[in-house]
Amino acid sequence: MSDVLADVGSGEAVRLVEVPDGDTRARLLRLGFLDGAVECRHQIRSGPVIVRRNGTELALGSALAEEIQVDREGGE
Amino acid sequence: MDGCHDTGCDASEIEAEDTLALVGCPNVGKSVVFGELAEEYVDVSNYPGTTVDTTLAEFGDYKLTDTPGVYGISAFDEEERVTREIVLEADAVVNVVDATHLDRDLFLTLQLLDMGIPTVVALNMMDEAEAGGIDIDVEALEDALGVPVVPTVAVDGEGIDDLRERIPEATAPEETAVEEYYDELPEELEATRAEKTLLVEGDEPLAREVDVGGVMADGGSAALVEPGMREVVYGDRRSRVQSIADEVQSVTEIDGGIRETISDLMVNPLTGTPIALAMLGVIFYVIGGLVAQRIVGYTEGLFFGEYYNPAVNEFVGGLIPATGWAEPIEFLLLNDNLGLLTITVQYIVGVLLPLVMAFYLAIGLLEDSGILPRLAVLTDRGLNRIGLNGRAVVPMIVGVGCVTMAVITTRMVGSKRERLISTALLGLAIPCSAQIGVIMGLLAGLGLVWWFGYLGVLVAVLGVAGLALDRTLPGEGQALVTELPRLRVPRPGNILRKTYNRTKMFLREAAPLFAGTALVVSLLDYVGGLEAIMNGLRPLTSLIGMPADFGQILVLGLIRRDFAAAGMTNMALSHAQIFVGLIVITLFVPCILTMTMILKERDKKTAILMWLGSWVAAFTVGGLAAATLGVLGL
Repeated sequence: MSDVLADVGSGEAVRLVEVPDGDTRARLLRLGFLDGAVECRHQIRSGPVIVRRNGTELALGSALAEEIQVDREGGE
Repeated sequence: MDGCHDTGCDASEIEAEDTLALVGCPNVGKSVVFGELAEEYVDVSNYPGTTVDTTLAEFGDYKLTDTPGVYGISAFDEEERVTREIVLEADAVVNVVDATHLDRDLFLTLQLLDMGIPTVVALNMMDEAEAGGIDIDVEALEDALGVPVVPTVAVDGEGIDDLRERIPEATAPEETAVEEYYDELPEELEATRAEKTLLVEGDEPLAREVDVGGVMADGGSAALVEPGMREVVYGDRRSRVQSIADEVQSVTEIDGGIRETISDLMVNPLTGTPIALAMLGVIFYVIGGLVAQRIVGYTEGLFFGEYYNPAVNEFVGGLIPATGWAEPIEFLLLNDNLGLLTITVQYIVGVLLPLVMAFYLAIGLLEDSGILPRLAVLTDRGLNRIGLNGRAVVPMIVGVGCVTMAVITTRMVGSKRERLISTALLGLAIPCSAQIGVIMGLLAGLGLVWWFGYLGVLVAVLGVAGLALDRTLPGEGQALVTELPRLRVPRPGNILRKTYNRTKMFLREAAPLFAGTALVVSLLDYVGGLEAIMNGLRPLTSLIGMPADFGQILVLGLIRRDFAAAGMTNMALSHAQIFVGLIVITLFVPCILTMTMILKERDKKTAILMWLGSWVAAFTVGGLAAATLGVLGL
């Protein structure tokens, strides 16, 4: 249940359920990354995670990815 | 698609002196649209009180202004604050939308319309959208938004005439869905639609203004609405964006192809690191080898050495009477150490100018191709260890002259802690861009190994200092959040324009300062003070195995680091001496502009500590490097 973005493998699709920091949440929301499923393009080992939605790619630092909770079922 | 929709076709409201702002997300082609619309460039300058560039031009009766790229109107960082302020004051807006990122860009569009700002949408990059299998029904989009939408391919000038014609039709719907939230605001509040919209989104700068205005009498709270309101309003807007996007666009999935493969290779550390190193090598060869050896060899050696200096010496020397009182003047103007009309001009025009231009050209290529954000991803892991995130790489590379310092201290998104660390590291070990051009030139004569050796020493110093700061400062670093724009082949015109603007700013900043420095140094030289200073610095210069002349380089370095680098081009030194000398002047004290910035941003104690600390760091590392090279027998 409580999976985090840092554990998601490259190529998987998930929903970002909970983002801790208010400003970061607002920025992700604005770009549409909280609207629905996002694709994890790259999980760089102990580095950033690159997620994609509708052709927009976003790099999120590993510390942040550790804190973002995801829903794997919602990604289908 | 003929003109008038709903409201606001009335262009008579608009009179001369009105402001038209170009607004859009990053990398949507705003500056290209700007270049196409502008009749004449007025100026590129920093937006008052910030380090963000804005460009002004004339367009008919409008004052046309470019804005930094943003994903929405808010105040998350300095660029957003600048755009927000321009938009609040603008009479109309051309919203440049990337047709390949409709779903992302329409948030900003709907926000502008919610704010009631008269808008025309330029739906740009229609060619790329088509190539990417994206089909957009422009008329349906126009109906859904209620404002003119003009399809364009700005880089080819397509659609620009239509856009020009329809700008007077700029309008905003009479009312939008955001209004239902206005009830959340205090009833007695008097504010425009734009202000009300931002206030329900919890805009802090506006809330404070209203507060000061006395409307909000009680409490010192920064926002007028509940903390969760922003997300409710944003969420509502997102669902409107989605329904519009679903309605007007149909997407046929097309494989990302080669660009995606290259992008993947660049962010993967295993392949990305060699690619980044190879790029550093190429930049070094082009700037150091081609520009510094060939072009500067020509400008400095032939043009200045053979023609300009002898001619000026003869002409000005002939004008000045050969009497006793005129002698000091002649010395100040013509001495062959740092004469104001001879060697000073030679350094600025013959040495710094070509190298700086070449460096800005390289930076422009990195920026426009979309490579920089990928470098941020690549370096994020390493920078996390010293309390920074990958974003810090961008201002470090892109900084223009000594403005670098200002950029990093104020522009970066981040905590006080991050600003403190980056200020310290930048002041310590990041050469300014003008300096690095000269450094590459000097090292090119030595070879690629020396270039990577130089970079290695700097990275080691940065690492040690960064680790120490990260350990000692309380708190934690912030995580990276950055968009990766598509990789694309840069357009030469855009790069040339940027290079020209940056070079102009460099000359405006550096030339007067260099002239003043040259006069002071020459004056010292004349009265014998320079010799005394060089003798005083003798213990330090001999510690690092440099000749006494190096004392003068240090004096130049006190003012600006690139002056010191330029001064070294004229000295006869061994390979090892050049290497050590360059390391010392890189680590040496922050330049005078940087010091003023530090004093403004921090306190006197920090400034003095950093200044003295850099003496220690420069000579310790320089001494170690000299000793190591000595042992190696180089």
